[in-house]
Amino acid sequence: MTEILALDGLVKRFGSRTILDGISLNVSAGEIVCFVGPSGTGKSTLLRCINGLEDIQGGRISFEGQAVQGNPSAIRAVRKRVGMIFQHFNLYPHLTALQNVMLAPVVVHKEAKAEVEARARALFDKVRLAHRINAYPAEMSGGEQQRVAIARALCTNPHLLMFDEPTSALDPETVGDVLTVMRDLALEGRTMLVVTHEIRFAADVGTRMVFMDQCRIVEQGDPRAMVAGAQTERARKFLGTIHG
Amino acid sequence: MMQYWPLMLKSAGTTLWLSWLAMLLGALGGTALALLRQIRFAPLRWVVIGYMEFFRSIPILIVLFFAFYGVPLLLEVDISPFVAATLALALHASATMSEVVSAGIASVGRGQWEAAAAAGFSWPQTMRHIIAPQALRVILPPSVGVFITTLKESSLASIIGYIELTRTGLLVRDSTGGGFLPLLALGAVYFVINYAISQVGAALERRLHIGRRSDLVGAMA
Amino acid sequence: MGYSFTLRTIYPYFGDLWQSALNTLSLSLLAIVLSIALGALVALMRRSALRPVRLLGAAYVEVMRNTPLLVILYLVYFAAPEAGVRLSSFMAALVGLTLNSAGYMAEILRAGLIAVPPGQFEAAQSQGMSSAQVLRHVVFPQVFRTIYAPLGNQVIAVILASSLATAVALDEVASWMQTVGSSSFRFFETFVVAAVVYLVLCQSVNIARILIGRKLFPQGRRA
Repeated sequence: MTEILALDGLVKRFGSRTILDGISLNVSAGEIVCFVGPSGTGKSTLLRCINGLEDIQGGRISFEGQAVQGNPSAIRAVRKRVGMIFQHFNLYPHLTALQNVMLAPVVVHKEAKAEVEARARALFDKVRLAHRINAYPAEMSGGEQQRVAIARALCTNPHLLMFDEPTSALDPETVGDVLTVMRDLALEGRTMLVVTHEIRFAADVGTRMVFMDQCRIVEQGDPRAMVAGAQTERARKFLGTIHG
Repeated sequence: MMQYWPLMLKSAGTTLWLSWLAMLLGALGGTALALLRQIRFAPLRWVVIGYMEFFRSIPILIVLFFAFYGVPLLLEVDISPFVAATLALALHASATMSEVVSAGIASVGRGQWEAAAAAGFSWPQTMRHIIAPQALRVILPPSVGVFITTLKESSLASIIGYIELTRTGLLVRDSTGGGFLPLLALGAVYFVINYAISQVGAALERRLHIGRRSDLVGAMA
Repeated sequence: MGYSFTLRTIYPYFGDLWQSALNTLSLSLLAIVLSIALGALVALMRRSALRPVRLLGAAYVEVMRNTPLLVILYLVYFAAPEAGVRLSSFMAALVGLTLNSAGYMAEILRAGLIAVPPGQFEAAQSQGMSSAQVLRHVVFPQVFRTIYAPLGNQVIAVILASSLATAVALDEVASWMQTVGSSSFRFFETFVVAAVVYLVLCQSVNIARILIGRKLFPQGRRA
């Protein structure tokens, strides 16, 4: 398995507050790594450090063999190959669903419009939104917006997908639609990092579970095994309360 | 230059008096217009809206010219620069104030009217006891902005020869042999007065806990 | 009360009116374009990471909003020659009007920038867009939506304010009314004509704004 991402001793501080305290992690192609743990333990910040939305105060990040940290052009290169899905979708409100998906391939990757449009339409089929292609974000439900956001991330043919609590801002009845799409992506063999509170999804779909607490990785391993009985007390307690 | 400061400050008083009077008349006129707009009679509403659009689409300077040069010819009466300036400023302020007051009245929910009607209040009673106190919270902050605009506009009175702050600044400049220092001082006096008033307005807005309505306030002058 | 309304006496002056209206129009248009540019600069200054730059931007806005345009025009017209720059009436009016309007433009643009949520910048950056691409494709269209209505108001405000250029001896519509009125003693007529010119200019802007707005921002396109 080829290694895609390597984090080594990552440290993130906001002023005097430490958010990430020496995170080391290697991710290979095809892995689906689910990050779980109490709120405010730095899971989302970790994803945001990887594509440079947050700067880091220590440690190393390398993506596909290239060092990333502190180098603007390397950060942009990473961003072109990493798709990100946000908790609040962050669709562009002035563009239709189709235009949202097509913007970056055309503007950033300089691809031909016709090619991009064909690919985008296929992606709308995949996320089951072919009928909403010309809708504006304000006209769509949260679940629909998040699926457009997934199509938007996929349209640049990313090597890695990062999901930052993709279902946390959704109405309960639309969560299922988004998780179904994510399941489909997992079956295709995509490499995914998923910050989530959906423990069942993590256990079913994830190839690895990373439990984080108090700015560190406390335990990681096979998701099913961890849900059945984690090694550490903290993980056991957290997974027990959430699951039960 | 120093010896002219008392003169400048005294004429700042003249400017404040002129603006205050125009603002008062404008607020009264604007309120009357806003109340007229409440009456469900379409032609009347068109007249009020026409009045507002008219004064918002022509510069106050030509109203001032008309009041000072035109009205005496038309009515064969003498009009002093002070009266002409007060009139022009008040007309202009009344158009803006009618918008501000209308927005204030509209900000009070329908439920209040219904509750008052159910309790047997007449229209004037409802307006006076229920609607006005609530609308005032919304009306007051942008009114401060209208006052600042009126105060800045009052500088135009200098063009028809009324000796207020701006005219005094120009006279001081002439008698000190030119230079731009008197003009700078003039600008500074206006700035200090208006900035102080705007701070009062901001404090008022905070007190009344309502969002900024600067879109109504931002008139150039 | 023997006044009878007659335009005939002022017919000979309509040629001058055309030239004056052109002055009003070109002065306003130039001032609007230039003050948007200067206002954008000031709005960006107010978002700077450096505190002194932010304060300078804020001070500029406060000074312009709290000083009469007339005083600014006099300062430009009288002070510039003393600094060794001789400005024509048109240039002095343009500089004064632009400086003043930029204070308001800056506030309008700032409000537009504030209305773009941080998530929009993040989404665009995370797709690998350069700063220029983020501004061009994501931020600007959204800012434009927010500032569209207040921008229209400011355009009208500049047209009306351009009348003060008469104070620095520019022949525009208000000064046409004044000079023709005083030489023909037909102030009522010149007032009506001048008012019509301004009404047509301002209401054209108003109507254009509404029609273009309907085309540009159909329902559902709002954030």
